[in-house]
Amino acid sequence: MQSSSNNVVNCNELSESEKHYMEIAFTYAQDALRNQEVPVGCIFVYNNEIVAKGRNTVNETRNATRHAEMNCIDDVIAYCEDRNIVSKEVFENVSVYVTVEPCIMCAAALYNLKIKQILFGCRNDRFGGQTVFDVANVLNPVTDVKGGYRADEAMALLKEFYKGTNPSAPPNKVKIKNI
Amino acid sequence: MIPSKKRKLDSETDDYISDCIKAVLPDDLSKDTPLVEVYVDEVSDRRNISKAVVAINSAFPVQELLHLKRVRNGKLLLFPKSVCELSEVHQFLMKKGFDTSLLTNNVEVALVAKLPPKLKNQYEKVNKLWPCNFHSNKYLERLVTNNLFDENEMQLHKICMKIAIDVAQYAGNKYNSKNVGAIVFDPKLKSVVAIGYDCTNKNPCKHATMVAIDNVAVTQNGGAWDKREEVIVNGLNTSGLPKDFEFLKDKYAKTISFGCRLSDHTDNKCRVSEESSYLCTNYYAYVTHEPCVMCAMALVHSRISRVFFGVKSRIGGLCTLCKTQTIKDLNHHYEVFCGLLEQECINL
Ligand SMILES: [Zn+2]
Ligand SMILES: [Zn+2]
Repeated sequence: MQSSSNNVVNCNELSESEKHYMEIAFTYAQDALRNQEVPVGCIFVYNNEIVAKGRNTVNETRNATRHAEMNCIDDVIAYCEDRNIVSKEVFENVSVYVTVEPCIMCAAALYNLKIKQILFGCRNDRFGGQTVFDVANVLNPVTDVKGGYRADEAMALLKEFYKGTNPSAPPNKVKIKNI
Repeated sequence: MIPSKKRKLDSETDDYISDCIKAVLPDDLSKDTPLVEVYVDEVSDRRNISKAVVAINSAFPVQELLHLKRVRNGKLLLFPKSVCELSEVHQFLMKKGFDTSLLTNNVEVALVAKLPPKLKNQYEKVNKLWPCNFHSNKYLERLVTNNLFDENEMQLHKICMKIAIDVAQYAGNKYNSKNVGAIVFDPKLKSVVAIGYDCTNKNPCKHATMVAIDNVAVTQNGGAWDKREEVIVNGLNTSGLPKDFEFLKDKYAKTISFGCRLSDHTDNKCRVSEESSYLCTNYYAYVTHEPCVMCAMALVHSRISRVFFGVKSRIGGLCTLCKTQTIKDLNHHYEVFCGLLEQECINL
């Protein structure tokens, strides 16, 4: 947890457009909740354009790896195929806005793609790619990662979901404060 | 390493070169038992030893050191060194109501096992330092000495890896991709549930393992990348096997089956019966190359039970960069074995 406390985002640091992008990510998390999926929402922004938006589809696809971030990565591939552009350059200039800290799998995927930056809401105490195991220690990413914006809201959505479906496995206490 | 006996495999498997397999162990099995410093003092009159043991156990029970005997060669284990300074030990004992006249007041620091040893060789080391309780676990002993599998099981593991190698070669040639192959296997049915191959030339996340996991989802009426109709062959659902890999069925028909158990379609929601599968629960994965961190965690999410791989990888997340499968705080862990048909995998 120590390593992560230094990247807690201060609300004042965020531009209006970053707050706006995060708001959109939240709408996808809410959509997930309505569809009985773990409420995590995510958007990818490239050159001020939203090139991918998504949420968890684990139950729908019966594939436990279909997290919001992975779905967004596929969206970017499709976006690039449509426009006949190289996805590598796009990924390297993408900002990821996601309501929950990416898990170990997604963090590894995003780091491998050399994503420019990640802004997340609440910590992921069950699978987090910083909180549970700091993937950056083994992959030495170029990605800038910040979290903590609207963390309480993001966590409240998760609690709402686990309350309804799986009371035995709630994500426990949020360790960092939303500023 | 397990050098298996004379190679006597059937025709489709006679090109095996290497036959070693090694468990990738969590640190608490691969390393010595951690040690901790404690205070000890001599019992002044040896006839009072049992009295002193009873007294110290009631005055100072040390919950985290219950695996240790309280006395050794007339010396009494008092408490961890972290509790107080050496000069304050007797004062401290008195405060706890212990009769310090039982001791000689020659307090020393001793190194003892911090945790209960898990393996016989760990036990033998720490027991020399200070006597310690130990319950041997036959399964773990076989795991660490690489004696878990008998000859028949080893042969089955090799056939599974051979199929993963075939997948890697076929896909590599046909789709001009990296020669990496994966299969997901149901050990109860002895049946290949799904296959996967590297598609990173299309999508950087489509590693062979990720593709195999998605093909398992296809057999459960899901899947994100590929949608295929359910195909029932000999009472098994073979939709985890893309059409162009059907040649595998013919090649390995003698030794192994293909497909997974059928799920119940009692209603539109496709309720899954108790018998049918949930994600990769109870399945094994065989991958030609050590899965990366992303794939290693994908296998945790998918609740795989064992992973076998051939050759280590520079970006590997099972033993090279880290051991994702042993991260304590995760809700699922799986066993990992490496070196299966290693040379054949290197040759890919
Ligand atoms: Zn994830
Ligand atoms: Zn991988």
